[in-house]
Amino acid sequence: MFFHIVLERNMQLHPRHFGRDLREKLVSKLMKDVEGTCSGRHGFIVAITGIESVGKGLIRDGTGFVTFPVKYQCVVFRPFKGEILEAVVTMVNKMGFFAEAGPVQIFVSNHLIPDDMEFQSGDVPNYTTSDGSVKIQKESEVRLKIIGTRVDATEIFCIGTIKDDFLGVISDPGANA
Amino acid sequence: MAEKGGKGFSLPKNGKSALKSPASKGKDDISAKSKRGRKVQFDPEGSLDTNLTKSNGKADQPSSKGVSGKGGKGEKVGSGSKSQTAKAPGPLELRVEQELPDNTTCLMDCEAADILQGIQEQMVVLSEDPAIKLPIAFDRGLTYAQRNRLYDNPETVKQILKPLKEHGVSDGELCMIANFAVESVDEVFALVPSFKTKKSKLRVPLENVLGELAKLRRPA
Repeated sequence: MFFHIVLERNMQLHPRHFGRDLREKLVSKLMKDVEGTCSGRHGFIVAITGIESVGKGLIRDGTGFVTFPVKYQCVVFRPFKGEILEAVVTMVNKMGFFAEAGPVQIFVSNHLIPDDMEFQSGDVPNYTTSDGSVKIQKESEVRLKIIGTRVDATEIFCIGTIKDDFLGVISDPGANA
Repeated sequence: MAEKGGKGFSLPKNGKSALKSPASKGKDDISAKSKRGRKVQFDPEGSLDTNLTKSNGKADQPSSKGVSGKGGKGEKVGSGSKSQTAKAPGPLELRVEQELPDNTTCLMDCEAADILQGIQEQMVVLSEDPAIKLPIAFDRGLTYAQRNRLYDNPETVKQILKPLKEHGVSDGELCMIANFAVESVDEVFALVPSFKTKKSKLRVPLENVLGELAKLRRPA
């Protein structure tokens, strides 16, 4: 889910950037440092939407750098356990399938796929029901539930399930072909 | 040993040994297993004592092997039993508010799409500065929000959802309703397990809200 959130960060700036455009320098450094990063608490920082305040700078002992506390608003994307997401399948194999929902990767193990769906290997590996009416393959859109998350320095990885009511394929690219 | 029992218990799906194991206890299960795995070293040995100690000794090995070598099986069993214990207290509930700081507002996908689109348009103007580049997470987030966008006007959606707040529905739950093309009240109850305790109270207002939202929804 997306959130709008206010975060704070201490930004260090070299004295060569001091001048009329100090604030702009601070903001562009903040964007470079922060956008695209992720943490377990806030999830992915997708974009900075505004600066709330820039505090008074503090000269660091021994260096010329100055630390500015910057409060900023941003849009974050964080998956939660129990959350429902609609994700696009990126890879299918006999172990299950991988899907993507925004910046988040999700793996759905074959144990968490309904029992009536079986893996079919071939050019386009897929999971299909015995009557062939439902098919999960690359590019399919599935509604899944997050049951576990793991946060890395650069990505968030989730475990999902489609073995529940109202979960499963919502659009199948093969259906039109 | 207890774990082994668990293994035997969850195996039935997988086949042969499963047929035997449910009746047998942990120990028997192990010996059956180790027989399968290490028959040659095992069988010729005589007395009960040695057999016992051996079976204990071996019992550790196959189990560790099961985890490392046959990774899949070992892990699956583990996760299976875990999910059983996790499910026992109740279904997985979304706890957005408890896990995030106070100064946080949940965004519906359509709201997020508007914000991110606005930023992208601004970036076209700012893009002369090569130092400022949008990260991959931004592109993915924007694509996701646009793909899942169901409504053109987030403000109207908020107004429609507002009455539910009076019934104690949290912002996170409201966003869940707004993010999916939910067609029935039962679907909402299935997707948002935290509603289960107030089903009777929410049914009517939810029906009204879903009806209103369906009118506003973009054609697929």
